[in-house]
Amino acid sequence: MAPRPGPDTGDASGTGMYRFRLFIAGDEPNSVTAREVLARLCREHLGGRCEVEIVDVFRDWEAAITQAVSVVPTLQVEGPQGGRTIVGSLRNEAVVLAALGLSPTGGSHER
Amino acid sequence: MGQIEKAPTHIPGLDEILEGGLPRGRTTVLSGGPGSGKTLLALEFLYRGALAGEAGIFIGFEEPVEHLRENAATLGWDLRALERQHRLFLLGGHIKPDTLVSGEFSLKGLLAAAAGKSQEMGAKRIAIDALEVALRLFDEPRQVRNEMHLLNDWLQQAGLAVVLTTRAAKPGSAPFFEDFFESMGDCIITLDARVTDQIATRRLRVIKYRGSGFGRNEYPYVITSSGLSVAPISAVGLQHKALGEKMTTGCARLDEILDGGYRRASCVLLAGLPGTGKTLLCSTFVAAACGRGERVLYVSFEESEDALVENVRSAGIVLRPHLESGHLRILARFPEAMGVEEHFLHTLEAIDELAPAHVVVDAISACERMGGKQAAFEYLMRLLNACKERGITILMVNQTASDDLAEISGNGISSLVDTVIGLAYKVNAGEITRLLHVLKSRGSRHSDQQHEYVITDAGIDLREVYVGEGEVLTGTARQVQEARDRAEAQRLDWEIQAKELELQRLRQLRQQRAEDLAQRVALRVSKPPAAGNAPAPPGQRKG
Repeated sequence: MAPRPGPDTGDASGTGMYRFRLFIAGDEPNSVTAREVLARLCREHLGGRCEVEIVDVFRDWEAAITQAVSVVPTLQVEGPQGGRTIVGSLRNEAVVLAALGLSPTGGSHER
Repeated sequence: MGQIEKAPTHIPGLDEILEGGLPRGRTTVLSGGPGSGKTLLALEFLYRGALAGEAGIFIGFEEPVEHLRENAATLGWDLRALERQHRLFLLGGHIKPDTLVSGEFSLKGLLAAAAGKSQEMGAKRIAIDALEVALRLFDEPRQVRNEMHLLNDWLQQAGLAVVLTTRAAKPGSAPFFEDFFESMGDCIITLDARVTDQIATRRLRVIKYRGSGFGRNEYPYVITSSGLSVAPISAVGLQHKALGEKMTTGCARLDEILDGGYRRASCVLLAGLPGTGKTLLCSTFVAAACGRGERVLYVSFEESEDALVENVRSAGIVLRPHLESGHLRILARFPEAMGVEEHFLHTLEAIDELAPAHVVVDAISACERMGGKQAAFEYLMRLLNACKERGITILMVNQTASDDLAEISGNGISSLVDTVIGLAYKVNAGEITRLLHVLKSRGSRHSDQQHEYVITDAGIDLREVYVGEGEVLTGTARQVQEARDRAEAQRLDWEIQAKELELQRLRQLRQQRAEDLAQRVALRVSKPPAAGNAPAPPGQRKG
């Protein structure tokens, strides 16, 4: 098993990069939705300035333990604004965008 | 339907109430208010299970796992050691407060982790603490229901013994979760901590236990320095059988002293220094009871069966035929041979097999060797209860190191003891004499005096009570005193006779004087202005 970067590692801030780790549980509906939403966000709002790692807890339950993930989907974000954790299907995109420091119209409002 | 399999909790007292433990492959719901100790009970179930070789997983939604380790350490439980041995795993399920929520989610992450870990460890037990905290994350009842089903499905297929704790609903609040927990639980236990008259009391109650019997009372429990301890004492006490009729002690003089003998279904304590004949006094009773065709279980912590039978035979008490006829069973075990639990269970097994009318424990003072004062207390208390519930007479021998009354009453069980007989030595004029004294006999009159007894080759022989001037006299001193007293009694007799004669004389004199007085009064009435005050001479009385 490849070592995973912890929440603090990697210098994403300088380049405006976002690093996502999404914990899902197979192909149950909330997990499917979360994957779709995250893929669209990367495309539409970040223009590819992101790395996405998908962890399926059914296959890699040890990661769920080491990362203290109780609920799925869980999205761990490392971005220019620091680290955040969002749980749920990500269906409420306004919450996700606010957490990423992005405006709903596209582009970021980094200071 | 077969007997359901049970996982012992190893919590003192609890397995008796649960008739063996919690159900395997099923869910036990433990509900209680804050501070009732439900987390502790759940953790102790895993901890003691792990010590006994059964791996377990603890999922906590409320407290960080590090707190659990620290709290457990105050009870002397080294959770880390068990974690290192892969016999215990603590899984924190709480969600960081700064977590954002967007859309629906489920507890599948935790279930996947628990499932993976439990397979890896070969876990047999799981505790899920404060599940209601996790369920509060969900906005809609539908979601809660889904999560509960998810959890329940997994638990059922995992085949673990499950303890699920939940905070009891406050009165008036929506009992939404409760319904769920109730339907999930094959066994439901409530813990109740309350303060009445400034005394904190904690009570445990089993509400239901599918497929098993259980103790149906409210049982007090305490959090001791080493964990929970459920005391089936006061609640069980309500089921004690009433004391029965008197029966012979096997010794006619002792029967008189006790106003008829021991009472059936009572607890009799025979206390005394080594060599005072406690075992003999017990065996006298045992032989008499077996002779009537009653069954007796003799728990011997001091001597083997052969040694016991042989020793009392030399004092004329014959037990062998009763052993052979099956009326007597001797359970000889060294206290050190096993733990207090095992001792108790062995004794209870023997009681249930033999169904004796009487049980003898020789000696309760040896019980401390099962592992200290507390262990002895637990063993005796539970045995006493078991006997009292079944209406079995229990004779306890207590070997003391002194005549101290506190020591005689033995191991703090005195409140449940009905009759206490003290046996002692007295050295007097170079002789050793033995004294028997009834210190307590509930529900009957009894002689308060000390009685001399001798051990003969025909058993114990009690003498007439003798009360001299202040102190009880025994042996040769007693004979001398008796002779002296006989002379004194004779002298007193004569004195009494003399005094009685004197009394008779005085009575006659008084009567005569009274008659004279009456005569004079009558004379005065007939001649009012009587000349002078001279008394009327006797003999002037008018017919």
